[in-house]
Amino acid sequence: MGRGRLSRILAVAANTFRETVRERVLYNLVFFALLMTLSGLLLAQLSIRQDEKIIKDLGLAAMDLFGSMIALFIGVSLVSKEIERRSLHPLLAKPLGRDEFFLGKFFGLAFTLLVNTSAMAAGLFLTLLATGRSANPGLVGAIYAIFLGLLLVVALAMLLSSVTSPALSAIGTLGLVIVGRFSDVIRNMREVVPGAPDWLVKILYYAIPNFRNFDFKEQAAYGDPIPLSTLGQVTLYAAFYVGLALAAGLASFRSRDFE
Amino acid sequence: MKWRDGLLVLGLGAAMVAAQVWLDQSRGSLTAGDPSLYLWTGTQVKRMVPGFESLFADIYWLRTVQYFGGQRAFAQNQRFELLYPLIDITITLDPRLEIAYRYGATFLAEPRPVGAGEAEKGIAILERGVAALPDNWRLRQDLGFLTYLFLHDAERAARILDEAADKPGAPYWLRTLAADLLVKGGERQAARRMWRQMYEQAEEGIIKENARRQLRQLDALEGADALTALVAELTRRTGRKPASLADLEASGLAKGALVDPSGTPYEYDSTTGKVRVSQRSVLWRP
Amino acid sequence: MEAPPVLKAVGLSKSYKVGHIRRRLRPALQGLDLEVRRGEIFGYLGPNGSGKTTTLKLLMGLLRADAGEVQVLGRPWLDPAWRYQVGYLPENPYLYDYLTPREYLDYVGRLFGLSSRERAERGRALLERLGLSHVAAVPLRRFSKGMLQRVGLAQALVNDPELLILDEPMSGLDPVGRRLVRDLILEQKAAGKTVLFSTHILPDAEALCDRVAVLRGGRLLDAGPLSQILKLDVSHMELLAAGLDAARLEDPAIRVRQALGERWRLEVEERSLGAVVRAVEAAGGRILAVQPIRQSLEDYFFKELGGGSAGPWGGAD
Repeated sequence: MGRGRLSRILAVAANTFRETVRERVLYNLVFFALLMTLSGLLLAQLSIRQDEKIIKDLGLAAMDLFGSMIALFIGVSLVSKEIERRSLHPLLAKPLGRDEFFLGKFFGLAFTLLVNTSAMAAGLFLTLLATGRSANPGLVGAIYAIFLGLLLVVALAMLLSSVTSPALSAIGTLGLVIVGRFSDVIRNMREVVPGAPDWLVKILYYAIPNFRNFDFKEQAAYGDPIPLSTLGQVTLYAAFYVGLALAAGLASFRSRDFE
Repeated sequence: MKWRDGLLVLGLGAAMVAAQVWLDQSRGSLTAGDPSLYLWTGTQVKRMVPGFESLFADIYWLRTVQYFGGQRAFAQNQRFELLYPLIDITITLDPRLEIAYRYGATFLAEPRPVGAGEAEKGIAILERGVAALPDNWRLRQDLGFLTYLFLHDAERAARILDEAADKPGAPYWLRTLAADLLVKGGERQAARRMWRQMYEQAEEGIIKENARRQLRQLDALEGADALTALVAELTRRTGRKPASLADLEASGLAKGALVDPSGTPYEYDSTTGKVRVSQRSVLWRP
Repeated sequence: MEAPPVLKAVGLSKSYKVGHIRRRLRPALQGLDLEVRRGEIFGYLGPNGSGKTTTLKLLMGLLRADAGEVQVLGRPWLDPAWRYQVGYLPENPYLYDYLTPREYLDYVGRLFGLSSRERAERGRALLERLGLSHVAAVPLRRFSKGMLQRVGLAQALVNDPELLILDEPMSGLDPVGRRLVRDLILEQKAAGKTVLFSTHILPDAEALCDRVAVLRGGRLLDAGPLSQILKLDVSHMELLAAGLDAARLEDPAIRVRQALGERWRLEVEERSLGAVVRAVEAAGGRILAVQPIRQSLEDYFFKELGGGSAGPWGGAD
């Protein structure tokens, strides 16, 4: 039955990809991301030095920002919408396990994000090419790390939306993503708040998803190489946290009543 | 069913924490900041965040503090080249953030490894502060201190301290301090008082640590000077220079252990008869 | 030897938690026993809010039962194998906005593990049977409720199920749609399949069902052939006539005369039916309908239970 499981998960994933790709919001967001990347060209003209850096900075920032928005928006609606609209109901009556459905949804969106990120990366490379520059390996590494971060956003969104309402899960995910970007501030909280107990700071630091881990924008912009071992470690972290979020989301999804 | 789920979540959680710890070790205790944060000048940032200047000033200030420490020892990868831009952006976004001027100026002026060793930049920061907060006596005080301690310009420093003494809330001793600076031989005394002030005004942290160390350095120097004077006295009495500090001790002229405030023994040059702070001491200064 | 029931439920119960601060339990289904035999059309009747949809959702696994045992096609409920032979249509199905019916049926087919050729073939055949061939490539968000219902039926039939479970299949359909569904259900029976459907509209059940179960307030009231449950008074017939003033008809066999606007409803002794018909025609009137007198579902509830039903807003359904 193992092959059956996989093919069902892939079926859900393919369907999810198809459904999300046709949502118009996606195109708008990707469009804006590309726009932002292109504006790097304009700004580069205005500045005396650092034009390559500006283009890379803006391009990566656009990928991160809009990619996160897409991941958040679709991640929340992936599960919530299906539940609310009840399109889920006929499907669960089929020989489709709830975990197969849940995982299939995740992979479908992961693939969507892969396509989006690739499109935005292509936009960035083309923009660089237009100024006669080329991409460096560090840039690809930074893009890969951003993509890992987006996967984590989706996993978090799916976890929250299987536990609470779409509105709350959107707010919650957004909050986690924003706070997660300040992980280094949390870690060094005692610099600014000397009274904070060490155990509390540690718990907060490790529990809150550390989105700074996925941030290699500086290295990429300066042309520094990003060691593969570091990327490997970041991949591990992402894999474990995504696994954790999905496992928790699944546990909730499995025992839910769908009214 | 629930058991298994809980275990899986916990297991993955533990693995995740382990990965994070491993990652932190290899990337350093502070991950790099966003390049876009310091790409722009203060004015550019200000234009980009209308309505949120204060918030972003806080964010930049937090970053500065993280980089350059507070309670704990130095962070592993301090990047002093970031200090000036960060301070610049912070005070452009919020010209009233007094602590940023003072902190930034101190760290810019202090020589490495404590600070960036760029005294002119530190002075420039304080001058902006004095312009932005003209009635603030502390900023002028710091400006005067830095001008003397790092630029060694006693006249200018005295003038600035005099101005500071005029400002509301200024302590009485600023004026006497200004006067001291203009008196020959009063430099070390003045320096000591400045460091004393900085020590007392600073909160627990690197600045206070630094001031304390400066004071101890001064103590060490004075101790060395005092011992040199005793050596001269002994030379006068015995007709020849003592061979070592042990002789001085034996003569009974010097009381107590002949060590500097850090506990490191002083060094004695028998040819010149000078006692100085040992290079091995933490209080040694070139 | 009797064939095992296609569906067997024993002691099925479900309660909902209500309220946020102090969570009370509201029972939606209490100790339901149900049996559906092979090859029959089984009607699951009850007013709105009686627990019909809850039952079907429990059977399909959308809700978790508090208690009870279910066997489908002779297999235990947890065995996923029976799902390959069951089709389910929820009430008011919502499907995917941006897919076309063809894509949707293909998707569902994949979940059953059908090969791509089988999927294409079944999809085409079903769309044709349900009159959707002309919109096979139109995104579902453009579909009316009636058309969505048809797509819903199509997805329930993709795997050619032995047992078809339909929740209020005729709700919101126009007469053409209702006819389509009725014909489809009869087709299934003719092919030896079993159909279980829920409804609160009695005439639908009457026209199709071999056996029914009646549910009210989460409890099973009765189960068996419809005629057994809703008493038929076969000694009298009901006659609907128009075009005359039946007040002037004189015939002792006419037990009741009731004016319904321009028409008259007469209750007549069965053996005098012929005479009354002739009298109506002689008076220049028209016979519209003749049928045995039956209780309505509402009458049944009212009478059998001595009190109001749960009401349109009471209880889960």
